[in-house]
Amino acid sequence: MTDKQLDGGDLDALVLRELSCLRTLGPGRGFSDRVMARVRRPQPAPVVLLRRVGAWAIQPRRAVSLAAAYAVCVAVGLRLAVPWVAAHAPAFSFVTSWAAAQVSALLDAAALTIASWVVELGAADAIHSAFTAGPRLWAALAALTIGYTACGYGLRVLLRAPRRKDVSLASAL
Amino acid sequence: MPTAKDLQSLGDREVVALAKAGKEAAYRELLRRYERPVFSLIYRMVRDRALAEDLAQETFIKVLNALESYRPEYKFSSWVFKIANNAAIDQLRRREVDTLSLDGAPDARTADEVEATALQAVDRQESPLAELESRELGSQIELAVGKLRPEYRTCILLRHVEGRSYEEIAEVMDLPLGTVKTYIHRARLELRDYLAHLRT
Repeated sequence: MTDKQLDGGDLDALVLRELSCLRTLGPGRGFSDRVMARVRRPQPAPVVLLRRVGAWAIQPRRAVSLAAAYAVCVAVGLRLAVPWVAAHAPAFSFVTSWAAAQVSALLDAAALTIASWVVELGAADAIHSAFTAGPRLWAALAALTIGYTACGYGLRVLLRAPRRKDVSLASAL
Repeated sequence: MPTAKDLQSLGDREVVALAKAGKEAAYRELLRRYERPVFSLIYRMVRDRALAEDLAQETFIKVLNALESYRPEYKFSSWVFKIANNAAIDQLRRREVDTLSLDGAPDARTADEVEATALQAVDRQESPLAELESRELGSQIELAVGKLRPEYRTCILLRHVEGRSYEEIAEVMDLPLGTVKTYIHRARLELRDYLAHLRT
């Protein structure tokens, strides 16, 4: 193309065409990760508020003031609450015993339900026969124990950290 | 939540709105859309790959951290190119100042002081752009574009390489539309002069 005789118009057209054909260049690998590492993404409002409050409260003087204010609040709260609770002791006692009775009844009902399921499914018989099976049960228990111990030892060997400091991660694996 | 593929079909404004809501995928989509055009523009302005990468990175960090201040009535691309162009122009100005000290500090009196404070010219390896420049017509045009004034260079690159409208270029460069048209016209004339040897 450059060997050709070009007049002004041809040259203009050629330059414009070649400009539009220039390669689009791209940055190196990991460019977007490097950018994203330095971008502050907006956080939800409660998180921002919590962070701000945390940052504000973590200053030593403010932290001491907040702790003192908290202690005063607790003391005042107890000062008001204890006499009130003492004055209403019978009512509290009644409510507590009523709640305990309710919980107890619920637990009883749950235990009865489970027991009836066990009886209906015949699980009780199965457990009973397993315990009376004698040698078979002991053999199964022994096999389980040996298997569990072997798995534990195998895991310990596999996950053992290298003792030498200069061992690379690749060689450790 | 839109996937990366869904985001590709959305316009800049919608993606920016999702990014403002804190969606990381939206940030990455904006980066994906503009990393090449922005890098190309900066690279062709400063003609140094490492520097161009640093400036492009700074541009995107500035853009993405300031999304809250972006006003949707403007084109997002104009905003990005404006920040990128400013970064490149600032760098070129700084480089001009640096070149003044090539012969040593002005207050250096003895020959030793002059030698100690002079900048050492480093024999650089050929950059990818330089490699490209050693090839055929495209490389001669790259060279010719590199000779243009920075303002002309920005105009011609945005217009003819990135295919941006005159109005958008005016917005990017904070110049009146007429000035942009004049710059592009003059840049073309200069390119014609630089490439006059192709006529023979």
